[in-house]
Amino acid sequence: MAAPLTLLLIVAVTIRAVLFRSSWAELISERVEVVSPLNAWKRVVEGLALLDLGVSPYSGDVFHETPFMIYLFHFVVDYAEIVFMIADGITAVALYLSIQTYNKNVFRKQKYALESDRYPADCLELLRSPKEMFYIPLKVAMFYLLNPFTILSCVAKSTCGLNNAIIALFILCTLKGSALLSGILLALATYQSIYPLTLFAPALLFFLQRLYIPVNLRRSSFWFFTLQYAFIYVGSLVVITGLSFFLLGSWDFIPSVYGFIFSVPDLTPNIGLFWYFFAEMFEHFRLFFICVFQINVFFYTIPLSIKLKEHPVFLIFMQIAIISIFKSYPTVGDVALYMAFLPAWSHLYRFLRNIFLVSCVLLACSALFPVLWHLWIYAGSANSNFYYAITLLFNFGQILLVSDYFYAYLRREHHLTHGLYLKKKDGTEATLVLK
Amino acid sequence: MELREFINFPGLTFPGLKITLLKPDIFFKQWYSWYSKIHSSHLESPLEVFHNHVYRLGIPDSHIVLMLADDMACNYRNPKPATVFSHKNMELNVYGDDVEVDYRGYEVTVENFLRVLTGRLPPSTPRSKRLLSDDRSNILIYLTGHGGNGFLKFQDSEEISNMELADAFEQMWQKRRYNELLFIIDTCQGASMYERFYSPNLMALASSQVGEDSLSHQPDLGIGVHLMDKYTFYLLEFLEEVHPASQANMNDLFKVCPQSQCVSTPGHRTDLFQRDPGSVLITDFFGSVRKVEITKDTINLTSPVEPPIKRSGSSDIQIESLTYVDQLPVAEIIHQKPKQKDWHPPDGFILGLWTLILLVFFQTYGIKHLKHIF
Repeated sequence: MAAPLTLLLIVAVTIRAVLFRSSWAELISERVEVVSPLNAWKRVVEGLALLDLGVSPYSGDVFHETPFMIYLFHFVVDYAEIVFMIADGITAVALYLSIQTYNKNVFRKQKYALESDRYPADCLELLRSPKEMFYIPLKVAMFYLLNPFTILSCVAKSTCGLNNAIIALFILCTLKGSALLSGILLALATYQSIYPLTLFAPALLFFLQRLYIPVNLRRSSFWFFTLQYAFIYVGSLVVITGLSFFLLGSWDFIPSVYGFIFSVPDLTPNIGLFWYFFAEMFEHFRLFFICVFQINVFFYTIPLSIKLKEHPVFLIFMQIAIISIFKSYPTVGDVALYMAFLPAWSHLYRFLRNIFLVSCVLLACSALFPVLWHLWIYAGSANSNFYYAITLLFNFGQILLVSDYFYAYLRREHHLTHGLYLKKKDGTEATLVLK
Repeated sequence: MELREFINFPGLTFPGLKITLLKPDIFFKQWYSWYSKIHSSHLESPLEVFHNHVYRLGIPDSHIVLMLADDMACNYRNPKPATVFSHKNMELNVYGDDVEVDYRGYEVTVENFLRVLTGRLPPSTPRSKRLLSDDRSNILIYLTGHGGNGFLKFQDSEEISNMELADAFEQMWQKRRYNELLFIIDTCQGASMYERFYSPNLMALASSQVGEDSLSHQPDLGIGVHLMDKYTFYLLEFLEEVHPASQANMNDLFKVCPQSQCVSTPGHRTDLFQRDPGSVLITDFFGSVRKVEITKDTINLTSPVEPPIKRSGSSDIQIESLTYVDQLPVAEIIHQKPKQKDWHPPDGFILGLWTLILLVFFQTYGIKHLKHIF
């Protein structure tokens, strides 16, 4: 499978290189759907220029990247395009390898379950075969690299690509079983933007499952491992934050980066939900609604972890989706990351109910974003409500997509334990409802 | 409110030439808004200053930018259309045939005012609407109208703040758009408008301090409004005595309209001005006094400028010929851009980071790789 992957990488690099050299690169790097105040390339350049002038880049409201980004780009700012293409390549290869590992795990578990006769007789058609699973990793890599969202994000040189690379590497290390690397990479991802904090739970669940530690709060083995993992995670986070202090010699970056993410002062329109609300809000209620919106991101972790405790990889997928829908400054690059996982759940196709609606909504909204932006800002014949409507619809489409896959996944699991053709007590056909 | 600017340039001498070259660049702006019956009518003040005094002292129309926000001469309430009088005895029509209003009515906005000051006008703007000053021009700005602590009202709908004004003057200084600038403001709490200035060579006068109101002078019962503000009235009275050869200096101007006459306390600010106010003539700003040196010798102007002959041997001091650029020690006055030094990450950081990365690498992949390195 190395050859097709290499071919895919070459094709992807070619597309990006062509777009980098075209006149569209300028246009794309200014689109608000693709760049946000957190990860715009213009701001990185501005921050580095300020640094060269002897001023802290965090003074003023320009630069919201972490000091590690300063360190990285200080040396490679002239080769930025190559860096972002490499980041996309790393993400794709990491996703490829992790899905390959995941498929092997899934197949092995299925084999054991078959041998121990745990599946009802009529759901054999739901089982997955290696033949169908053979091309899934390649499809995952393809879905990531050739996704228009990813290409736009890479051409705009948004640092979202680097964040995605770190998260993809984290997933790879988790699936390979290395708790140390996984903890360190998760700390790095959290350090970049705070939201990957919620990925701590699925990673922990995965390790517990892998080490055959039952998830029981009363058992000491559970707490032992949890504390170990938490120690690695928190420890590396502390070390990374401490190192960033030594880069510039001040703690300026904490209010500039994390204060900015949490308190959302910049209300530039983007594809997220925050900007419109907070533009309309009275100052009096702002703190309350900030808390509500931010809790909304972290809130789904615990219930989902309880429900999906045997399926941590699906939980990772759902968490990443929730982060990219509800985070304070989402961009299409975040959307592209979880969309890359969709081929891994292609066996759920028969249970998806809203696939037509979702795909239409997402396609239409992606097309309407630039149209309504133009109408609002340039033609003046629309206003922010139009753009926000499309934002809402886009997020609705994403939520519908995620919940549809959730339903399909749970339904398949239910069928695998209770049989495919479900009957109610009186013998008529039953339907499964997600409540 | 009125806004006036005069730019006055006394003279420039190039080394090596005997004739004194003159560059009379004078701009005059006036801007005015008529607010209500109770407040004074501010139109007459700048027109009076313009018509009587500045014109008389030698500044031509091309050097005056006049901004009037209200058209009083053609207002339907004016009992004598096309005329504006500054005194109730109606002896002098200050809105005569030769008054050129450059910005009238709704063109008088904060944006236009700042654009004229800083020169950032669209290329289609005619010369009469531009402030074509350079670094040898003296500018007089006269503003009157309604104001408060830190702001000046424009057109009933917007304000200019003292910080904006100070920043506009700094932009002018950075772009070398003035040599010296005299700023006169006649509004309530006018002193607040000049307290934020930070550019060099600015002198400011105001009719009242912060917390005080500037009052108007005489009402005209025929149209029901006041004709002029007290400070402007006494300022004009003072200017009546100034003639082109007058040696009256700024210290006399500061004494105009004491509290006994004006009720409000006039204020002034000279700390940013490099010359001593006592040595600054009124005509440096209010008039265009041309210094002419008459010589009966013929000058040959075909040869380029030669440096003056150095005195050799007899004196220890070597007089270097100064080029034009060096006469104005700009580098000592304005702030230099800090030299671009390349920033490097501190060594401790690099060391720590790479040590950690190596540690993690060896922890995950084992020590066996070590032998491949060493």
